[in-house]
Amino acid sequence: MNPVLSSLRARQLSGVRCRTCARLLRREKRSFATASGAGDPEGDPEIYDVVCVGGGPAGLSLLAALRSHPTTSRLRLALIETQSLTPLRTFAPQPDSYSNRCSSLTPASVGFLDGIGAWRHVRRERVMSYGGMRVWDGVSGESIGFDVDGGGGGVEGVKEEREGTEGSNGGVVAYMNENVNLTSALLRRIEELGGVDILEGEKVEDIAFGEDTPTADLTSWPVITTSSGTRLAARLLVGADGANSPVRTFAGIESRGWDYNRVGLVATLKLSGPGWGGEGKKIAYQRFLPTGPVAMLPLPGNMSTLVWSTTPALAARLKSLSPEDFCAMVNAAFRLRTPDLKFLHTIEGGQKDEVSWRETHTKFSREQVPQDVVAVQPGSIASFPLKFRHADSYISQRIALVGDAAHSVHPLAGQGLNQGQGDVEALTQNIIYNVEHGADIGTRMNLEGYGKERYWRNHVLMGVVDKLHKLYATENLGVVRVRSLGLGIVDRLEGVKGWVMRRAAGERGLF
Amino acid sequence: MSSIIPIRGTSLRNFNLLLQTAPRLVNSQFRPHTTSSNPSSVNPIEVSHFNALASTWWDPHGSSRLLHLMNPLRHDFIKRCHATQPTPVAKEGLRYLDIGCGGGIFAESAARLGSTGTVLGIDPTPEVLAVARKHARQDPGLQGKLEYRNMSIEGLPKPTSLNEQYDVLTLFEVIEHITHPADFLDACRDHVKPGGWVILSTIARTWTSWFTTKLMAEDVAGIVPKGTHDWGKYINEEELRAYFLGEQGMRSPPGWNGPQVMGVLYVPGVGWRSVTGSEKVGNYFFGIRRDE
Ligand SMILES: Cc1cc2nc3c(=O)[nH]c(=O)nc-3n(C[C@H](O)[C@H](O)[C@H](O)COP(=O)(O)OP(=O)(O)OC[C@H]3O[C@@H](n4cnc5c(N)ncnc54)[C@H](O)[C@@H]3O)c2cc1C
Repeated sequence: MNPVLSSLRARQLSGVRCRTCARLLRREKRSFATASGAGDPEGDPEIYDVVCVGGGPAGLSLLAALRSHPTTSRLRLALIETQSLTPLRTFAPQPDSYSNRCSSLTPASVGFLDGIGAWRHVRRERVMSYGGMRVWDGVSGESIGFDVDGGGGGVEGVKEEREGTEGSNGGVVAYMNENVNLTSALLRRIEELGGVDILEGEKVEDIAFGEDTPTADLTSWPVITTSSGTRLAARLLVGADGANSPVRTFAGIESRGWDYNRVGLVATLKLSGPGWGGEGKKIAYQRFLPTGPVAMLPLPGNMSTLVWSTTPALAARLKSLSPEDFCAMVNAAFRLRTPDLKFLHTIEGGQKDEVSWRETHTKFSREQVPQDVVAVQPGSIASFPLKFRHADSYISQRIALVGDAAHSVHPLAGQGLNQGQGDVEALTQNIIYNVEHGADIGTRMNLEGYGKERYWRNHVLMGVVDKLHKLYATENLGVVRVRSLGLGIVDRLEGVKGWVMRRAAGERGLF
Repeated sequence: MSSIIPIRGTSLRNFNLLLQTAPRLVNSQFRPHTTSSNPSSVNPIEVSHFNALASTWWDPHGSSRLLHLMNPLRHDFIKRCHATQPTPVAKEGLRYLDIGCGGGIFAESAARLGSTGTVLGIDPTPEVLAVARKHARQDPGLQGKLEYRNMSIEGLPKPTSLNEQYDVLTLFEVIEHITHPADFLDACRDHVKPGGWVILSTIARTWTSWFTTKLMAEDVAGIVPKGTHDWGKYINEEELRAYFLGEQGMRSPPGWNGPQVMGVLYVPGVGWRSVTGSEKVGNYFFGIRRDE
């Protein structure tokens, strides 16, 4: 064997199982090589066990999970991500400044992330656990206050609480966390373990089936060409590439649903205090308005993150306001009656005074709503269109979809990212089982277990979330009465409430 | 029962796999026989049947689906056997000989395991082996680890050294198609390394298997040509045990130990499940270790 070739191979293909063929492929590739050389678009592709497109929360956690399990740690993995990952590597935030993209992680997700060794890389002082949620109907005022026990909040001791009481999660409903805190922890975990070929700042340009060469028949293998011309053949191609998934498009998997004609307006806010119960007793607030729910989720200290689902026009108006008027509008959204809110959206400025005047004429209990918003973090107001999409299937021959590539859901239940973690956990288990049994991890038949398990769980959850949105996106008096009655009853039935809360906390079972 | 039996000429193997409970009718399979006119263990009628199977072998929804679904259990059973060894099994370099490998469902999977050195799959049916070779090309990871040869066990040269012997010799859904199983097992035995295993799966000889394969499929429905399924060829677990351990006047010299058995049942909608005691009535795995 040519010693140069062999050393080249040893470096590039460490951990690959198909040494012989890779060598042959490499040799052929040379004969095809063009003068320019780089990327070698004419040559044979590099062979990988898993190529993951998309380095968001779902993609990164899949790679970290596969690398950290002894059974799958020998697989050859690649990541393709359009964006540079440098901001994740150099994540060094200011203590009082928070990203506007936050997600509530369920105890189930945190348990999974801990198991794959990623949670300990999360900057814990920036994670806020909360044990209570106050949810109410903005039209009738009827409470849906799914309060667990009021405890469970706190920055410190996140892990102890989770481990302390198996099943009850120590009263923690969820952990509020910046997406970037999670993804940078995942990347740190991946780089600590090593062994993933990361192609960052490279877009997927093309996906096509491979060729039947004298050495191997890759006609059932997706071959990905990136913007730099690199070609990768995938035993299993994972689409973790978000809502507009090019992998899903390649697989010809239809994604059905509708647009809500709503956007999720997000912002990082500073409140007048750390919450009515203090730092240890944080609470999340959500009020259903006819335009969509508005939610205030606790961060450490006096900080909170806002997710306000509303129409694109009203969001545009909110974004155009001065910081003072914007803060006043957020306060109004949790306090004032809907006709007042409607009016406040029609004026171009001066909300601050209008709101403080109207507040004095509105009956509400101070301690039942978030403390006053006093400031908005500059540059933190942004909005994202809200969609309901569900892929017809999560799998195809040599294809699996995870995360938003498979499903997008209304953020009112804070489930999107968590569903992606659930997908990743199930897909990882599926791959482990297949590797242990010598099964080809990419064939449709061997992926069926993953597809079945996750599709139905997500389907039911998404249905519930969608129905909730629709139930509350109306001012029709009849509907308001019925829904108030319905949820008022839910609030009084401990058993049902407990069940709903456990769903929100991502517990397993039933679906 | 009828609802779970996809009776088709090409689904012979599935058909066998589906047979279930009944009282036992034991009439030792290892009865003495006059010298065979056929020097090979291979029954020509069987060969033609598996030719017909070839095209659908890797279709996950085709007639071999039950075999695909059963494959993980084969590995579970081998692991279970290995776990009973007094000395732990090697973590790498294990050599497999898969006799009657068919389209390669097991052979491919064995070759993918990290603990596997090489797999040799042999099968007397050329068309089936062509399917196996073609399919293996779809996985470049198998190159250098998996080899197929078109032959019966008698065609494989007798091993002359330890290096030519195998750690695991497998006979999955094979022995019930063999005319003279004792001769056949005699031929297999020598290929196993001291401390290595013979692992097989087959179906017990029971009233149900007689009823479904002989009477219904051949005589009544006529779906399977008469005579293809020699129900008398089915072998019960205690017969295998007696053969390897040299009990009950069996001719095999001892030299084997630690027999293991695992009965499996196909539950529609659920899949294959290992069920204690079911080896007495239907499909089962059998493993036995050669003395070190
Ligand atoms: C306003 C709002 C609030 C939310 N709040 C919550 C919450 O509280 N809790 C919760 O669980 N979820 C929440 N979500 C949902 C959550 O943000 C998403 O579900 C989650 O980010 C999806 O992660 P992902 O990894 O699947 O996809 P993404 O985060 O979309 O990642 C996809 C990645 O793929 C890359 N990519 C795309 N195309 C290509 C290509 N061609 N080549 C290479 N790379 C490509 C992208 O650059 C991106 O990095 C919220 C969503 C919104 C809009």
